[in-house]
Amino acid sequence: MGPETLSVIKIKEILVVTLPSDPDDSTVAALQEKVLVEMERHQAKGVVLDVSAVETLDSFFARTVTETAQMIGVMGGRTIVVGMRPAVAITTTQIGLALGSIETALTVDRALDRVMLASSTTLESFQ
Amino acid sequence: MANGKQASVTTPVPRVPTGEAELLQLLIDNVTDYAITMLDPKGIVITWSSGGERLKGWKADEIIGQHFSRFYPPEDVAKGKTDHELRVAAQNGRLEDEGWRVRKDGSRFWANVVLTCLRTNNGEIRGFGKITRDLSERREAEEKIRKQTQEILEMAAVPVVQVWEGIVLVPLIGTLDSQRTQQLMERVLNRVTETNSPVALLDITGVPSIDTQTAQHLIETTAAVRLLGAEVILTGVRPAIAQTLVHLGIDLSSVTTRSSLSAGLRMALEALKLRVVPAPVGA
Repeated sequence: MGPETLSVIKIKEILVVTLPSDPDDSTVAALQEKVLVEMERHQAKGVVLDVSAVETLDSFFARTVTETAQMIGVMGGRTIVVGMRPAVAITTTQIGLALGSIETALTVDRALDRVMLASSTTLESFQ
Repeated sequence: MANGKQASVTTPVPRVPTGEAELLQLLIDNVTDYAITMLDPKGIVITWSSGGERLKGWKADEIIGQHFSRFYPPEDVAKGKTDHELRVAAQNGRLEDEGWRVRKDGSRFWANVVLTCLRTNNGEIRGFGKITRDLSERREAEEKIRKQTQEILEMAAVPVVQVWEGIVLVPLIGTLDSQRTQQLMERVLNRVTETNSPVALLDITGVPSIDTQTAQHLIETTAAVRLLGAEVILTGVRPAIAQTLVHLGIDLSSVTTRSSLSAGLRMALEALKLRVVPAPVGA
């Protein structure tokens, strides 16, 4: 599984990133790079990280995701992790991986709604 | 039982008993719940009874003279179980065992076996008495009951119900031990994903007490649910529970809590941007 399996799709002003089922360290490292570049290029409002296919999550992954979310935050966007599997969530909490502060959503739909709602209210307040 | 030949009579023909040995043989043949067999000091079968034939399928002439390892599954024989049993029986006077035994046709049954060492007055081993009882039915019945109980317990232990579109409720009753909270975590997480519910209400009204470990489990469950993209609201925190939590120094600040289920439900509806309003008069 190489970095080329990462898919980044732009929907309106949001980037949707889908991760493969068993991302190795180079894929995870490439994720940060690729997302930040795309973020700048599209002036995106947020990044939706779809992890619904991911079956194993390690500390490197957790740290990179948290870091990336902070970087996106600095660039003025928000990050939402979507669709984590119950088994992955259980392991993550039980071995105490630090993902605590990250924003999450059940589905991509809900995440998109949330980001779009937030950006549309900003616009309305100007009218 | 004076000798093997006499004791190996297999058909219980009702006769007028004449001697003690014959009476004894009648007993051995007519007892239906047990198979009573004699082994020589090396474990060779020297007597057989109709009880044995009914239970294990061999006729007297087929089994007398054979080693009693014929009654054991191959894996037990390979482990040297038969020799071990004779040794223990000789040492302690008796040995009781419950386990799988094999019939003539190869099928297995669950048996209770008692081996008794038979010694002469001067301590010399004459052989072993072996009483075998078929416990298959009892075992099956026990197994069935155990399985049903387990299923009922699992179902009742952690019911997860969807009370509204987007809200699941977990009414917890009874003490929460580690095994149950592990189940709780798995079921809540799976249901939240299946029903796509952003809010899970965990009601602990029916939980008599909470200790540090239970609280830790609840905190973990909350964190795991949050990773899925949903929220947990802990409801039914009674005064006694609130006191215990504070006295034990348990920090529940990472968990949203409410004293009653209705307060929790109201909060859940608000989170979903729903509001319950009275129906207009006359409608």
